[in-house]
Amino acid sequence: MKNLEELKRIRDRVKKNLQMRSGKHKVRIVVCMATCGIAAGARQTMNTLADLIEKSNRDDVVITTSGCAGFCEQEPMIQIYTEDKEPVVYGKVDSKAAEEIFEKHILNGQIVERYLFSKGK
Amino acid sequence: MRDLADHLFDILENSVAAGATEVIVMLGLSNKRFSYKIKDNGRGIESGDVTDPFVTSRKERKVGLGLPLLKKTAENTNGFLRISRLEGKGTLLEFETDISHIDAKPFGDLAKVFTDALRSWPDVDFEVLIEREKSKNEQVLNTKEIRETMGCSDIQHKEIQDFVYQSIDKGLKRIGINTQFGNF
Repeated sequence: MKNLEELKRIRDRVKKNLQMRSGKHKVRIVVCMATCGIAAGARQTMNTLADLIEKSNRDDVVITTSGCAGFCEQEPMIQIYTEDKEPVVYGKVDSKAAEEIFEKHILNGQIVERYLFSKGK
Repeated sequence: MRDLADHLFDILENSVAAGATEVIVMLGLSNKRFSYKIKDNGRGIESGDVTDPFVTSRKERKVGLGLPLLKKTAENTNGFLRISRLEGKGTLLEFETDISHIDAKPFGDLAKVFTDALRSWPDVDFEVLIEREKSKNEQVLNTKEIRETMGCSDIQHKEIQDFVYQSIDKGLKRIGINTQFGNF
């Protein structure tokens, strides 16, 4: 990586931005990323969600990944953990489903029944 | 798996699942043969032939398909998959495929594999090298260096992700990985 200079420029640019962040996340989206998820297109799902978060300017939403949840036929699966609410699991979440779930569930707090896999623990 | 990028991401996940904190990936393309070597410092393979679908460390079910699928992808195209235990600690995986073979899979977005990796496992250190025939191997990603320069752990910031993507993508293009099936 010869672009150390460029990296330093980025650092100066984003530093302010980073300080402004509270570091507290209200919503955590977990994308299952084992072989089963990846084969079903989970990387695309994750990237779609990341773009949507970026576009919505919500810095209290974060994405992480996990291993196989044991329901490989339902992949790509995502789990949504919202502060003070029961976790919700969605199955067969392709990019289109991810957009709908982001719009309805994450931004407006409505559960999207047609992709719903389970609610609660 | 749709493309070689999916496979690569899946195999990196094995390293992380084995507790690796450092993963070194070397990518190369020469004579229409695309290859990568992945070296990690994870706990290593415990026992059995890991390319057998019925040998797995996962607990949810008794099959593991990541390595068997990769092996199939290699062997379908006159390539190979070799996995060896490193002395001390860790695993070395070597994969090669003939991209001019009729059954070759497209590359997919290989640079994106690594930004996905940083997003998925922000605490793991990755080093990515591009194998060059006539000159020194080119380092296109070194997360340790990024962490030191940035002075903060926010490796998932959009601007850093873009920077990493560009760096790797440029390196891949220099060795001819600029179309889905390479240039002949």
